Amino acid sequence: MNRTRLIFFAVLLVAVAIVGVSVLTRQFQTTSAIPQPVAPKTVEVRVVTALPVEPWVQEAARDFNASPAAKIENSAIKVTIIPMDGLTAMGQFERGDMNPVATAWIPDSRYLVELSNAAFKEKFGRDVFLTDGEYRARPIAISLFSWGIYESRANVLRKKYGSIDWKTIHDAAIAKGGWPELGGDPQWGYFKLVVPNPRRNVGGLQAMVAAAGEYYGKTDITVADVTNPDFQKWLKELMGAVTDFSSLGSYTAENIALFGYSTGDGGQLLESDLLVNMQGIQTRWADPLNIVYPKYLTWFDFPFTIWVGPETTALEKNAALEFQRYLLRPEVQAKAISRGLRPANSDVAIPNESLFAKWQAQGATTVVPRTTAMRSPSRDVLLALLRFYDLQVAQR
Amino acid sequence: MAKKLSTPRPQPRGMFIGLGCGLLGLLTVCGVLGAVFYLGLRDPSTVQRPTPAPAQVSVLRLGYSPDKEALFTDLVAKFNAQGRKSDEGQDLRIEAVRLDAEALVKAAVSGDVQAVSPDSSVWLDQIDRAWSQGRSTGGTPAASIGQSQSGLVGETRRYATSPVVLAMWEPVAKSMGYPEKTIGWDDLLQRAQSDANFKWSHPSTTSASGLLATLAEFYAGAGKTRGLTEADTQSKAVLDYVSKIEKTVRYYGEGELAVMDRARREGPSFLDAFVVQEQMVVSFNQQQKGNPGRLVAVYPREGTLWVDHPLALLEHPNLTPTQRQTFSRFRDYLLDPGVQQRILQAGYRPADLNVRLDTPDSLISAAYGADPRQPQTALQVPPGTVLDAVRTGWLTAKRRTNVILVVDTSGSMQGQKLNNVKDALSEFLRQVPSQEERVGLIEFGTGVKTEIPLAPLSQNRARLDTTIRGLSASGETALLDAVAVAYRSLQDTNDRERINAIVVMTDGLENRSRTSLNQLVRDLQAGKERLPVVVFCIGYGNDADLPKLEQISAATGGQTRRGSLETIRDLYKILSTYF
Repeated sequence: MNRTRLIFFAVLLVAVAIVGVSVLTRQFQTTSAIPQPVAPKTVEVRVVTALPVEPWVQEAARDFNASPAAKIENSAIKVTIIPMDGLTAMGQFERGDMNPVATAWIPDSRYLVELSNAAFKEKFGRDVFLTDGEYRARPIAISLFSWGIYESRANVLRKKYGSIDWKTIHDAAIAKGGWPELGGDPQWGYFKLVVPNPRRNVGGLQAMVAAAGEYYGKTDITVADVTNPDFQKWLKELMGAVTDFSSLGSYTAENIALFGYSTGDGGQLLESDLLVNMQGIQTRWADPLNIVYPKYLTWFDFPFTIWVGPETTALEKNAALEFQRYLLRPEVQAKAISRGLRPANSDVAIPNESLFAKWQAQGATTVVPRTTAMRSPSRDVLLALLRFYDLQVAQR
Repeated sequence: MAKKLSTPRPQPRGMFIGLGCGLLGLLTVCGVLGAVFYLGLRDPSTVQRPTPAPAQVSVLRLGYSPDKEALFTDLVAKFNAQGRKSDEGQDLRIEAVRLDAEALVKAAVSGDVQAVSPDSSVWLDQIDRAWSQGRSTGGTPAASIGQSQSGLVGETRRYATSPVVLAMWEPVAKSMGYPEKTIGWDDLLQRAQSDANFKWSHPSTTSASGLLATLAEFYAGAGKTRGLTEADTQSKAVLDYVSKIEKTVRYYGEGELAVMDRARREGPSFLDAFVVQEQMVVSFNQQQKGNPGRLVAVYPREGTLWVDHPLALLEHPNLTPTQRQTFSRFRDYLLDPGVQQRILQAGYRPADLNVRLDTPDSLISAAYGADPRQPQTALQVPPGTVLDAVRTGWLTAKRRTNVILVVDTSGSMQGQKLNNVKDALSEFLRQVPSQEERVGLIEFGTGVKTEIPLAPLSQNRARLDTTIRGLSASGETALLDAVAVAYRSLQDTNDRERINAIVVMTDGLENRSRTSLNQLVRDLQAGKERLPVVVFCIGYGNDADLPKLEQISAATGGQTRRGSLETIRDLYKILSTYF
């Protein structure tokens, strides 16, 4: 082999080597640039949960995480509950302050889901929580709003007015002489109504909607109804009897239990909160509480709502769905009942031994007689009520 | 066969050279390619950086009100000692930060703390309002439902409550009809106005109990028990009424703990009645040994307020999930039945309603001066804007002060000592918001010099600031002469309408005065009937003669405190709350 051939082979070898190395390199780069989807070991599901159901959902999440049900596509599901008032959560969603964004949301009421969707539709032209399809919002428990009023006070009001309703409460609220004028003990001071601050607790909005229903004797409230000066005067007088609209007033059933009749003679409150606190009220305050179901009924339905935005993966959304299904299982629904909630799963009945039965003598009942369900108010009606609250009540 | 001779062939050597070159070239190319490949990997967008290890400890800073310091710090220490871990294995720790209401609101809004536990939810409202104002974009509040209402304060749980009461020595309460008669704010005010020897006090409006006392006065002045408006708080008739009442206040103060401490040490001679939370009365009576008497909690007939000790998470955008976990665990810890019993044993009403208040071992009982069935009614909490107006109204209606600052500028004060005192004096003046307060300045070394005579701050604030900046140290220590000069100066005003006080600071031993200690104490005591003057003394550093200072302050019902380079500023700030 002459020198020229040798050089030729050497060059050829080098060329082959360059091509070979280049091909190998490109192949390596290609495979590293496109990661193969690998299922994570754990799928995190963050559920922002309204406070009235938080203890139950928290307990359920702990059980779920430890159960075989917490699996999806060979990955373990880990549910974390973030307790947050529905209005606070809605504000965080809208401002984009929630970091990381929750996988799912259990607000107090479907009102909040609709309101959030409306806000996002204005911004992005789409819903962020679905109302139909696989990811649609599904109620996981129900709790009605009912009157909770200290028995000694209820007896005086019944004697004077015959029944406990918004009209009676209004008349008691405007009694200038307070309880002595109504026939009660002078030590009781003036009549003190408990209504949550509607800017902090959607229960406050519910109370105003219910009051409007009874004022007008109808279930569908309009903006014109809310802005009617006569109604506003009536509602303002009513709200004038509320002791506290500060932060202290955010959790009203807890307040009525903790502070007793000193801060609230009664109010329209969440049935589950009243049932849960009933024993404590009797332990702490000599006077028991009476439960009275109003004629115009409102309620919270605690919809489990999955965030459909791009911030969470399909796997996370489906994992949230698994937890939603778990919450609707009969044995989990039974635990909700033990906390004074009504089951959302229609296959589950309230057993004979429950808080409803325990406090039957105080007025609790599983079947509410002769009531009319209020229709969900529109966003505009709610805004009008809040405007009224801001201008006429918060600035009182 | 003849061996064929041949010349050496050049090919093998050439072949080796060629192969060598080829291999060298190949190695070079491979090296270049390798380098390119390696550098390619180092592209920042593709490089796999090592993930930083998560911090081993996650800290939640939690601001709390000073009134519950003993209990709260104990509970936090016990929680931290449990070594709780997050789901990710991090140690969960609480860092408790003692903050008065004003500082707590600031710390919450600035993000210095991630959770708070003030004495009352009233402050949570203030936090939200301060937060909203900071983020306000000028939109109308009702433009949206979700955006406007939600503030910084997130999940809130109460773990202990206590109603605000009038604490009275039992004989004093009985003289007003207790326990048969329900005593109201108006009874207290009538007694204070009709009895010149009756001494009562309430904290300033920076604590919940002080705010309540003031609110009750405004309600009484407006003839209401609810529906107090901003217009009410600005009405001349109401302000005159409040002003009349406030003139009967002995002096204000830094808070409930300091009042209770003095009540324990001085007994009924200190005050006849003062506004505190029920827990303070219970706790006082619990430690009966050595107490000068028994206190009872009087629940005002017109209504009271509750301190509800909320534990609130602040929803700052940068709140971490681990901090959220810490909050939840601490919340659960506080609500644990064992901890709730501990809270009851500290004299609070536990938030867990299963903890009975009517058991034989409960402290919320008549044996400890409390009544678990009380209060029967509460005053209406007005909106934040009205509360602000009440606080502003109080500043104009509160009892005015004549205060003389007596400052040691002897040689030993040179350097950092004097510099820190200058800062502290300036801070003191900043903390006195009303221009109507009268302040004077006396400095002493070998002699005594009245730098700024007593005059309203509206006239001399700037001169005080300038003079304080220009103070210099030299000479000896004529402490007693300086106090005597200040005292005579106040006596000469003969102004009974105002609180008359001297705040004297010294770092050394008296070595120059013509006045003797005994003479000064006699004068201070003798002048009480004519015009009470309270002397507050600060022993600055380790060389100050504390026993001497205590004799001076004790003669007037004042108090002596030790200060240091580090604490002198805070000490002056605290003393400013007395005026």
